[in-house]
Amino acid sequence: MRVLPPFTLHRPTTIDDVVELVSWDDLPYVGGTELLLAMRAGLLNPRSLIDLKGVEGLDRIEAADDAVTVGATVTHARAAGDAGVRRALPLLVDVLGEVGNPRVRAAGTLAGNLCFAEPKSDIIPFLIALDASVTLASTNGERRTSVSDFILGPYFTSRDQGEVLTTIEVPVRPGRDMTYVKYQVMERPTVGVAAVRAVDDGTMRVVVGAAGEVPVVIDVDASDPDADSVASEAAERLEPVDDLTGSADYKRHVTAVYVRRALSRLERR
Amino acid sequence: MSESSVTISVSVNGSRMSQTVPARLTLAELLRDRLGLTGTKVSCGMQVCGVCTVLVDGAPVSACASLAADANGLEVLTIEGVSEPGSLHPIQEAFIKEFALQCGFCTPGFVMMALALLAENSEPDRGDIVRYLDGNICRCTGYEPIIRAVQAAAAEVHP
Repeated sequence: MRVLPPFTLHRPTTIDDVVELVSWDDLPYVGGTELLLAMRAGLLNPRSLIDLKGVEGLDRIEAADDAVTVGATVTHARAAGDAGVRRALPLLVDVLGEVGNPRVRAAGTLAGNLCFAEPKSDIIPFLIALDASVTLASTNGERRTSVSDFILGPYFTSRDQGEVLTTIEVPVRPGRDMTYVKYQVMERPTVGVAAVRAVDDGTMRVVVGAAGEVPVVIDVDASDPDADSVASEAAERLEPVDDLTGSADYKRHVTAVYVRRALSRLERR
Repeated sequence: MSESSVTISVSVNGSRMSQTVPARLTLAELLRDRLGLTGTKVSCGMQVCGVCTVLVDGAPVSACASLAADANGLEVLTIEGVSEPGSLHPIQEAFIKEFALQCGFCTPGFVMMALALLAENSEPDRGDIVRYLDGNICRCTGYEPIIRAVQAAAAEVHP
């Protein structure tokens, strides 16, 4: 097994120090569950890693009435084990439990998962369905953007070289049905569908992940959506490529199946 | 503070050690190459096989994908520290009794994961065990004896 390339390790204690350092060659680092692997594979060779684990305030988890907020260094395991998160968003706890394995969950972070923008992430489509947003800090201040706008493509986000993701905010609204269904036989899912419906007016967001290069986001206005038409729209808008989890045709087919399945699970709640 | 070398102080199996290491040194390299604790193996390099599993402050960690620097100030438990010399932990006894190892290469990783599981959940059902061990690969046993061993160890530790 190859060794990691040499780098400098910065261990700042404040976010002000972080934003002074971060660049395309000086990368934020927490769990490194993808970053270190990419470095070992020769795909990335940063001059330095900026360890965020000692930065004040980035480890917070807040479960308030209207939102769950996690800082950039919160691991999947910590978030899933938080009683407040479980109360506010029990399905999020389940989806977090789908990530990798217990070792990956103990080290990896939600923030890292978003910044890596793996097309087959479980968390990303679920957070988009919940209308989650992220805050990014830089020497110019802060900006906030929806996860939906943050994820631009495979392994590609709107994070600029001087920015570091500091916070993820997931709105908690009363009266929502939600579900996450997926088909997975390999290390990564073939397709994952997150669906969230407002009980009062029936408006719905359906997000398809894994099968396409980018999550497909469908906002449905109707109070009685036709499952078949939502499924067809998802299959048509999908941008699939052939890979080990299936051919593009197969992915379109299984996407439609799982969108229908997700909608029927919502109905039954 | 910026450095391509870091000075770390880590408690390994109860003994505190201090070393200056390159920032890029992994925890597995520290344990195997610098401390001679070769019970922790390396294989996939990608956190999917589990042979490099150690416990850091009780949490399961892929030592091959973890920086030694990240263990600074923390307590690392490796397979060598699981039992006192001359004796075996109930989990290790159960693995032997259930024939849950053949070549033994994956065994330290499975034992460390089982330790972490039983610390978190003292009465796991079969589904809990299968899910928790999902990130560990064995090429020899077909997994059933390993699952039985963990069930037996759980019963032994918490009858």
